[in-house]
Amino acid sequence: MSTLDAHAGHHEEGSYLSGPPGIFSRVWQWMTTVDHKKIGVMYLFAVLFMFFVGGLAALFVRYELLDPIRDQIVQTVDANGDLVTTTTTTGESLKELFGGLTSDLTGTQIYNRTFTLHGAVMVFMFIVPSIPASLGNFFLPIMVGAKDVAFPRLNLLSWYVYVFGCIFGILSILMGGVDTGWTFYTPYSTTTDADHWRVVLMVAAAFVLGFSSILTGLNFVVTVHKLRAPGMGWFDMPLFIWAVYATSIIQVLATPVIGITLLLLIFERLMNIGIFDPAMGGDPVLYQHFFWFYSHPVVYVMILPAMGIMSELLAIHARKHIFGYRAIAFSSLGIAGVSFLVWGHHIFTAMGELAAILFSGLTFLVAIPTAIKVFNWIATLYKGSIVLNTPMCYALMFLFTFSIGGLTGLPLATLATDLHLHDSYYVVAHFHYVMMGGTVIAFMGGIHHWWPKMFGKMYNEPGALIGMALVFIGFNVTFFTQFFLGTQGMPRRYANYVDEFQTLHQISTYGSWILGLGFLVHLAVFIHSFFAGEKAPANPWGGLTLEWECESPPIEHNFHHEPIVKHGPYDFETTVPPHWDPADYPIHPDAGKGRH
Amino acid sequence: MMLTTLASMAKPAPIDALIFGDRLPASETAAWTDGLFMMITWFSVFFFVLLMGLMLWFMFKYRRRPGVAPEPSPHHNTLLEIFWTVVPSSSMLVMFVLGFQGYAAKVVTADNALELRITGMKWSWIATYPNGGQSNETQPLSYNKETLDGVEVVTQGREYPIFYLPENTDVKLRMQSTDVIHSFWIPEFRTKRDVIPNRYTGFGIKTPKLTKYDSYIYRDKETGEETEMLGRDMWIFCAEYCGDEHSRMAATLRIVPQEIYEQKMAEWGVQLSPIETGEKIYNQICMSCHAIDGTKLVGPPWNSATLDGHEFGYGYDVTLEDGSTHPRDANYYRESILDPNAKIVAGYAPAMASYQGQLSDEQIDGLIAYIQSLSDRGPAPAEGEETEAGTDQAEEAAGSES
Repeated sequence: MSTLDAHAGHHEEGSYLSGPPGIFSRVWQWMTTVDHKKIGVMYLFAVLFMFFVGGLAALFVRYELLDPIRDQIVQTVDANGDLVTTTTTTGESLKELFGGLTSDLTGTQIYNRTFTLHGAVMVFMFIVPSIPASLGNFFLPIMVGAKDVAFPRLNLLSWYVYVFGCIFGILSILMGGVDTGWTFYTPYSTTTDADHWRVVLMVAAAFVLGFSSILTGLNFVVTVHKLRAPGMGWFDMPLFIWAVYATSIIQVLATPVIGITLLLLIFERLMNIGIFDPAMGGDPVLYQHFFWFYSHPVVYVMILPAMGIMSELLAIHARKHIFGYRAIAFSSLGIAGVSFLVWGHHIFTAMGELAAILFSGLTFLVAIPTAIKVFNWIATLYKGSIVLNTPMCYALMFLFTFSIGGLTGLPLATLATDLHLHDSYYVVAHFHYVMMGGTVIAFMGGIHHWWPKMFGKMYNEPGALIGMALVFIGFNVTFFTQFFLGTQGMPRRYANYVDEFQTLHQISTYGSWILGLGFLVHLAVFIHSFFAGEKAPANPWGGLTLEWECESPPIEHNFHHEPIVKHGPYDFETTVPPHWDPADYPIHPDAGKGRH
Repeated sequence: MMLTTLASMAKPAPIDALIFGDRLPASETAAWTDGLFMMITWFSVFFFVLLMGLMLWFMFKYRRRPGVAPEPSPHHNTLLEIFWTVVPSSSMLVMFVLGFQGYAAKVVTADNALELRITGMKWSWIATYPNGGQSNETQPLSYNKETLDGVEVVTQGREYPIFYLPENTDVKLRMQSTDVIHSFWIPEFRTKRDVIPNRYTGFGIKTPKLTKYDSYIYRDKETGEETEMLGRDMWIFCAEYCGDEHSRMAATLRIVPQEIYEQKMAEWGVQLSPIETGEKIYNQICMSCHAIDGTKLVGPPWNSATLDGHEFGYGYDVTLEDGSTHPRDANYYRESILDPNAKIVAGYAPAMASYQGQLSDEQIDGLIAYIQSLSDRGPAPAEGEETEAGTDQAEEAAGSES
């Protein structure tokens, strides 16, 4: 505490959360802020809101799948001995749930709109901006020792562009929803709902959101290059920075391609220019190549920042130097590079044989750096001092779920087995294990890890652990069953299915309820922390990266003095963390001897 | 209650049953792929257990103890890191090569194979045989018969077409879509391929040799009588999302002995009457959106019926969205097939795509003849022909008019 007092006496700066009195001036201050921390927090709330919307849609999808939508023909013999045939549609659970709201749509139409809503919201509005734009925005400048990002105004603009894009998307939902699937495959997307603007609006939303992504990425690349604190070389950067840096490069290079593709799609719908329409000499599969040329690299936009969080969480909460720092840093860049060469594995069933073989080989290539990272993380735990708090439990959960996600990708990269599994529930399970079991789990761990720093309040540890356990159980029950559905022959995006699949579908749906409950517990813990959380110390976990030198919450310009980096981000063996008393931080007598 | 058949006696091993269900692979290639899948799965299980075991062991052994500093350990180890780069790399090389071999076996078709043309459209599959014949048989994918209070109750889903193929034969599929992209998946052959407009795609399969365990239930539509026959039924699903009724774009692939197949070919190759032509096309294409028993589906019903106060069926006036009416005559139906959005029936969305260029004049004539036969205001049936609209329905329609 002594250092804090000294600073407080030295400078009269309040926390970034303090502001002028009066609700309107507070709101105005937030709406016009160029402070990366405020923008990060605004992003955090925005993406968590979209996660809530997308999650609700996911629960609706699972609810509908409790039983198949079916035209049921029932034949009985009546009292007179005549055969009576009645046809009813059964299993339209969502139609019944929504009642009059959706009276002009059939059960399958509602289902198709719901899964499209889930996919589009989760991908474009939640998971792509999730970690980089919220935690990245808040912590990237602090972790490199800067006062702000390189272009603070651009940063605010990217938030407004994001919100604008979300409004487009929500508008198209309110106008009746879109049934194209989040991938907008042509020629279905260019012909469906032909007399309406909804599809154009949703595509435009994705187009606009892309700009937000590009602006954020550009900002981060420049910040990492130009604003590192004195003493921080490239290999002194925390691995979270390496991961967000690799992510930003992908965002800047890949997003323009999806922008052009979506624009072409809009032109095709509105003006029939015939790029994708086979009747006019276009090629519908060309769209899939364009789309995945962006959307595969963007899978790594989703997972790389999560991997960055993992490196931080495991090292700090095991109090251990990360194992193989350079291997992890270079594998981030390696993944970013190879990610541009593997898009074809989404289209194995629609492409020529030679291309399929090449893409299969390249796909295996991208698996190797990912495997190396997992080995490094587990090796980091060796001889550590492991504490099982919520961030660490989420990090260990990540190792469990992400390993399943990664390993189940092997049969999908293998051509012979992919022909069976492609577009089945196996794929659904696989990418949920990667996207949710990877990104969302690491995001949850990261939020808990940095929550005290962001808001200056501790969260309730037992409550958060209960939430974590429910999420772990619910997640695995929901998605592990779907691997079996897929190998047994259940196709994706089906509202109707054969009787054989019903038991597995029901188990999966029950799991989704446990999962939903887990997130509600987390919501309650967060709200409790805001209003009744204990005041957080500046460095609750004993971290060595620069954000732990700031106060909790940080002051407006982050640091009282420009920080000078004197130790590595993971030198836990030899360094007493900032704001810690050396008496509370045991150091092993052999530490630092003969190490490099 | 599910019927017990001979087929249910040939059960896969428990672990295969969990992973692939009761449906044994249908060809040697499919069985080989299952083997490859299981090999990769056991490889994954081994490494997953190893990694998680280490993680749990470290979690326990190196748990934090107050006042105890962690022992120093190396920050990296070049030898170890090279080892754990080479091991996955070489394992994946093996998977890649095996996957390539299996892929080649799945896409290459044998010479002199039986060529089956598959047409995908929203939301049905049509199979055309070398003699031009097409299947007119249908069956539901789910069928339950139970006795409630002494009354026999049959509950079934929608009817889907049945495609016949002879046993132990090389078959080449030549596939094309007439509208959006579909994907033709036969789970038991462990393979699929996208069906794309303006481009032929396809793959080859070798149908299995039937054994005494292979049987299906033939159900007579008229009498409900069930006979167990030698043959094997498989699911066909559309795997690429194609719109409203995507999940009802299914069919049955039925592997039968050669002589049954030849019998069907002789039957389906012959000239059909216009009404039979129309009925066949209805079963193939129109059934997913139009009912012939007066129910409301995506599109209006075809038989004479009254729904929401509006009359339906040939010879009755159609009420359009703007309230105007128009007679349902042959020209109205022709226009509705070729330019479906020209006149939208009140209470329905413009959901149908044009069949311009997809149906021949002969087929359109057949459809109109079939629609006429469903109405109590249709023309008199030809000698010895039964109208589809039974007298019951005609009376109902007449009754609701008065």
